[in-house]
Amino acid sequence: MLAFIRRTWLLWPAIGLLLVFFLVPSLDLIQASVMNPDFTLEHFERIADRKVYLAVFWRTLQVSLIVAFLAALVGYPIAYFINLQPRKTQFLLIFLIFIPLWMSVLIRSYAWMIVLGRDGIINTALLGLGLTEEPVRLLFTSGAVYFAMLQILLPVQIVTAYSAMTEIDMDLMRAARVLGARPWQALRRVFIPLSLDGTITGAIIVFMLSMGFFITPALVGGRQDMMLANLIEFQVERLNWSFASALAILLLLGTVLTVIVIRRLGNLITRRIA
Amino acid sequence: MTRRRHIFSAVLTGAVLGLATLGTAVADEIAVSGSGGVVAEVNEKYFFPAFTEDTGWTIKQVGAEAKRMAEIEAMVRAGNTVWDVSEISASDYPLAVKKGLLEPIDYALVDPDNKLPEMARKEFGVVAASYSTVLVQRLDKNPDGKKMESWADFWDVETFPGPRSLRGRPEYNLEFALLAEGVAKEDLYKILSTKEGVERAFAKLDEIKEHIPVWWTSGAQSVQLLSDGEVFYSTTYNGRVGKLQESGIPAEIIWNGGALHVSHVSIVKGSKHIEKAHDYIRIRTTRPDLELEYLKVLPYPNFAPGLFDQLDEAQAKQMPTYPANAEMQFSANEEFWADNIDWINERWNEWLLE
Amino acid sequence: MDMQRTGFSRFALSAYFWGVIAFLAFPIFVIIPISFSNSQFLRFPPQDLGIRWYETYFNDAVWVSATILSFKVALLASLVATIVGTMAVISLDRGAARTRQMLTYLITAPIIIPHIFIALGVFILAIRFGFADSEIALAGAHATIAMPFVVLIVGAAMRQMDPTIERAARVLGAGPVRAFFSATFPSLLPAIVAAGVFAFFVSFDELIIAQFMLSGKETLPMRIWADLKLEVSPTVAAVSSLLIVVTTIAMVGAELLRRRAAGVRGD
Repeated sequence: MLAFIRRTWLLWPAIGLLLVFFLVPSLDLIQASVMNPDFTLEHFERIADRKVYLAVFWRTLQVSLIVAFLAALVGYPIAYFINLQPRKTQFLLIFLIFIPLWMSVLIRSYAWMIVLGRDGIINTALLGLGLTEEPVRLLFTSGAVYFAMLQILLPVQIVTAYSAMTEIDMDLMRAARVLGARPWQALRRVFIPLSLDGTITGAIIVFMLSMGFFITPALVGGRQDMMLANLIEFQVERLNWSFASALAILLLLGTVLTVIVIRRLGNLITRRIA
Repeated sequence: MTRRRHIFSAVLTGAVLGLATLGTAVADEIAVSGSGGVVAEVNEKYFFPAFTEDTGWTIKQVGAEAKRMAEIEAMVRAGNTVWDVSEISASDYPLAVKKGLLEPIDYALVDPDNKLPEMARKEFGVVAASYSTVLVQRLDKNPDGKKMESWADFWDVETFPGPRSLRGRPEYNLEFALLAEGVAKEDLYKILSTKEGVERAFAKLDEIKEHIPVWWTSGAQSVQLLSDGEVFYSTTYNGRVGKLQESGIPAEIIWNGGALHVSHVSIVKGSKHIEKAHDYIRIRTTRPDLELEYLKVLPYPNFAPGLFDQLDEAQAKQMPTYPANAEMQFSANEEFWADNIDWINERWNEWLLE
Repeated sequence: MDMQRTGFSRFALSAYFWGVIAFLAFPIFVIIPISFSNSQFLRFPPQDLGIRWYETYFNDAVWVSATILSFKVALLASLVATIVGTMAVISLDRGAARTRQMLTYLITAPIIIPHIFIALGVFILAIRFGFADSEIALAGAHATIAMPFVVLIVGAAMRQMDPTIERAARVLGAGPVRAFFSATFPSLLPAIVAAGVFAFFVSFDELIIAQFMLSGKETLPMRIWADLKLEVSPTVAAVSSLLIVVTTIAMVGAELLRRRAAGVRGD
């Protein structure tokens, strides 16, 4: 017993926080999703019956995967670049990456309006150059959703990838060079496999956060850019707790399963390149 | 079982937090949940001092709004109501009544002389504000010499080309579609009460769907869209259109075919200060002198006796309940929506995805 | 030849870096100008220049105290989340792989559950047991939703770390705690700092739980939300601009001080 405590005490504060602020409160959630008032699966049947819920679920999954992939792709070289700098500069650059987070998300959507709108900067330029007669629809499109979400979520991806890179032993790279590897080979065979894990973790964080997004897609997206969280929001407003819970559980399961798949796939790829 | 679980969690909570601050209300104070922002400022400046003067009690204003109904339900369920009075919006009222979240109003305390009109006196709340969902046009974007006057015009994309916006929810949009088709105001809810009637409205909405690049989700967004010229025509709440005009945007309300709503002040079920809560509601709903100050900020009038006599003509014309304006609108049937929104909204979302 | 190519790829990389920074930062160049407008609405380019919305901000006790409250709650929440989360990572790192995975999924679940459910559950507990309207309880709830990020970010760094360093320290006679602080901790520091800063923002931007937990007091997102029904007030632009400018000055100032101190010491 004492040995168990000694081995695990570092974990207890985390478990405590989760119990009080998450697990105990969400017991109601799980219970509500299968009750009306007795045990029933009718809420899940309704999700399966009406096409809107699964359609929106797939759409949410698709948007989140695209944003996570874009974030990994765009963020990786940035993290690499920061990691190349001296330690002191690194902290400054990380601060730079975090600056956009001070801006309210609402007002950032407005900034997109300024750039992409009918009278926005891009359209004004296009019209001015005579490239188009009519303003082009850039805002209220799925493309705008991806860009806006990427703008919001990229910092966390970069920072996660970077944090993992700082732990990579650069002597390994040097060793590879000494043993005759070309710089690109050393990068590909040594650095990239080692740094992929952090990038995938970053992508997973971005993915999980995207699954819960709804304000930004509603503001810059078109009518089809509906997210599951929008539908949950509606059920909450109507105090339909059971159905809202069932939708939340769909969101939870879908997210966890996808994360497991991403992890597996990531490990596979890492092994392939190494 | 549940009880044990909660006791268990309470002990844990206490242990983890280290301290549990006492959340019980101070004596001689009632808690009022209202809107935030400028409305909160007006409340604090006019209605609250009047209440204190009248009763000697003070008011703690709670700004929560996004999830008000959920919060009230949670309090009632937990058996510890920490708010006394709450604003209840037009669409929330039927649900709050159905779920038993409100105390009945004792009109002997609120309106002893029976001066409030019948439509202001509801069983579980007194009307504190009336507002409209109206169509607004940017006059500068209209074709020369033309002006929108009805929902039929909104649907007429030949005469009035340009991007439009509607709220991303079915409420009142179905009514607007039927009005555009020429249905009389009186028949709206008779038609909507059948599935065919609802489908008829959707069929009409099909015509306009592709001309609506954005479906707004908050009042603020609709005003911003009009202000930026991102859309030329949009529904919005009547409240901020005046400010839009002041800031130099030639926007104009089309009262014809607007949806008129009323919102309420109610007493939360289980309030520990029911009598004082009634006092507050009385001051909030029957004092024209205070209401006049409120109207300077927001044109959402209540039914305080004699209110319109004290308004000057220009200001009165901005009000949704000004007789000439009210006549052109229809009263939104919130009970209909409360009963049908679940399935209609499913249909609506499927329609949006098509 | 090789040198030139390295030079070029360095240049390309740094050009790319600044390009992405521009993408991340572009709203600033919209927000700061519109915050200096006297218009009722967000307008770009701004007309009628002035500082009306800054005056509104500073003259309104609610706005200022909301900002301070948000900072307090976010600092406390991020401190708790960072410490508790890092402890969990260390503990998990020592456990078996399977347990580690299971527990990591458990710990990260609060990211996925919509905040409204957490808010509601905690709120019901809070009013039942009288800790409603407590900033500390709010910070605790925020720490819970921020901790998963710490566990993921620090955990990712931990996995790349060379365990031999800590083992070496142990072999050389350091106790586990000392071995951690002298070997593991310094190396994990970038990850811990980054996670802590992100945890700060998770709390700083959170709206729903705060709305449930607090009555009477407001955090900054609550104050911003309060206006939303009517309009996106330019005050929001002024607040965002202020936060950016003040934190940038603080950061640059700290860096200059550090450089000067380093210069005096001569390293």
